[in-house]
Amino acid sequence: MVEYLQTTVGKFLFKVAVDRYYSNDGIWVLREGDQCRLGISDFLQQRSGDVAFIEVKPEGTKVSSGDEFVVIETIKVNISLASPITGTIVTINPLLTTTPEIINQDPFGAGWLVIIKALDWESDHKCLLEPNAYFLRMKAQAEEAAR
Amino acid sequence: MTNNSPVRKVIIIPCSGIGKTYGSVSRESAYEVVENLRPEKTCLVALSLLVMGDKEAHEMMTEHPTITIDGCKLACATKMARASGGMVIKDYAVLDVYRRYRQYKPQGIAELNEGGIQLAHALAEEIALTVDSLTTTNDSSSLKGRAGVDGG
Repeated sequence: MVEYLQTTVGKFLFKVAVDRYYSNDGIWVLREGDQCRLGISDFLQQRSGDVAFIEVKPEGTKVSSGDEFVVIETIKVNISLASPITGTIVTINPLLTTTPEIINQDPFGAGWLVIIKALDWESDHKCLLEPNAYFLRMKAQAEEAAR
Repeated sequence: MTNNSPVRKVIIIPCSGIGKTYGSVSRESAYEVVENLRPEKTCLVALSLLVMGDKEAHEMMTEHPTITIDGCKLACATKMARASGGMVIKDYAVLDVYRRYRQYKPQGIAELNEGGIQLAHALAEEIALTVDSLTTTNDSSSLKGRAGVDGG
């Protein structure tokens, strides 16, 4: 059972899962052995709006930290997201094609994006935020947006 | 309405989201159906009338099958139609329709871009066919059986 930090800003409730790391951009990283599962945070999905389409780099693609690995088209914006992990994309969530709205419905669970076989976790890890740090950052961004 | 009489009119209720691109698409498609494609078979009911409890609008809801067009996942049109006692035969979500017509990316609000206009047209054509299927049936009881089960 995943536990969450949560805050309400205006009429919106935002959650941050405490069992994973986060990039500054709101991508979560859950380490699973030598692989990392990636997805987007609840705040990022709510701020971006309902997802229409997702384009992910194909399985087998080698990405370096900072490389674009997914483009998400929502009803509001097109967002290009950079991988916080260096490695090879080994699995893409099959639900992204058939039910892209899963990202909005379950961003920390079934709405994950990809699994990357990490090549340099120790270096990448240093650039990621602990859940508490991301929570404070996210809360500040949400409050700023609400003003 | 008897069980063997064809449906005379279908009510169309679009999203009332002003200032939202997908809301605008829903309204443009509704106008096209009601004013151009199937004027003799359809009737537009503004969501605001249901919200304000307009008696005439509520009576119409209970007498005719309804098609709703939602601009976002809040699905206000569908929820309000059902809360008003309406028989929602088909609820369309603009985002789902856009997923089928990715070449028509809607933008703009007060004035839709070409993609938005094309998307509204494509949606209107789908709605018109649904209207035809409702107004040519000889068994309106089957409509009641289907109420609210079709997604957009």
